[in-house]
Amino acid sequence: MGVADFGGEVKRERRGGTRRRKKMRRLRYRLDMTPLVDIAFLLLTFFMLTTTLITPQVMEMTIPPERTQVEVRQSELLTVQIRADGKVFYNLGTDAPQPITLKDLEALAVRENVRLQNRLITVLKASPNVPYGAVITVLDALNRAEVQITEQLAREGLRRERRFAIAPMTPEDEQAIAQL
Amino acid sequence: MPKLAKRRVGFVLDMTPLVDITFLLLTFFMLTAKFKSEAETQQRFTIVRPQATADTSRLPDRDLAIIKIGIDTVSGDTAYYYEMTNESDWFQVIGSVEQFQQAQESQRVRQVRASLQELDELIRRTRIVRPTTRFAIDADRRVRYRWVEDLMEVLRQNRATIFNFVTDRRPPEQPPM
Repeated sequence: MGVADFGGEVKRERRGGTRRRKKMRRLRYRLDMTPLVDIAFLLLTFFMLTTTLITPQVMEMTIPPERTQVEVRQSELLTVQIRADGKVFYNLGTDAPQPITLKDLEALAVRENVRLQNRLITVLKASPNVPYGAVITVLDALNRAEVQITEQLAREGLRRERRFAIAPMTPEDEQAIAQL
Repeated sequence: MPKLAKRRVGFVLDMTPLVDITFLLLTFFMLTAKFKSEAETQQRFTIVRPQATADTSRLPDRDLAIIKIGIDTVSGDTAYYYEMTNESDWFQVIGSVEQFQQAQESQRVRQVRASLQELDELIRRTRIVRPTTRFAIDADRRVRYRWVEDLMEVLRQNRATIFNFVTDRRPPEQPPM
């Protein structure tokens, strides 16, 4: 193991010979690569197994700096509510809340936003007891809708301006959807 | 006269391409490897991040303050943890908050557990030390939304109204529920 072999021939000791051997010609230079390859593979295995290629991504959030009451037209308000068990409800304006699946919510957000051309304000209210993951899932559905909204509004020559807010859920809100 | 069969003396395989590829991969993995930050090695919980649709957004790696909401693996209780990527800012911030001065003196602590009031102080100090610091909320998807809501209120009071939620990308084969 680990022999660097120069020329492939071993110089034999001369035994009393008077005649000088012909000068050996170095034909090839051969280096035993085994230990090098061993180490290279070892390191490669280590880095392959310890690397996680998936880096976390982010979801950007903007919240209004002040907690002020803004007068909005009820007809231009889409309220999305998440109940403590993770069920999602929506209502437009002062309508009664209705349960909705995420897929439908995405389609609804697209439809209503395109219809009202940027005037729609989406408000998300989540119960304090709902798992945080469920809130992100709903936010993600709304974000996905955003792509289609931007595209469809662009077709009408409009620039998308997102109006979105997160609001705390009041006990009255909670009561309204408790029995649904 | 029959020809003598040539004796095979040795078996020689040209390893050059193999070694080439090996080194190429080795270089790739070595250069892309990102080691755990000091703060991460100090934490006693793992965060199961919520999943979101894959996109190109990435967590900024400079001047970032991360507020983690984690569930302790041993005791199972939820708490806020605060850490910053900028080391000099970090020691400046925790050195200015009374409760954490001990942590600052040891010069090794890179993550602190904080109550909501302490977080308020930490975030305010961070904003003073470097107003451009960006905030990220890295919460476990199993924690109750109340924790996040309270934290957003604290951020709002400190005028940090733009922040990030840290998520993992959802694997493409798994359709959104």
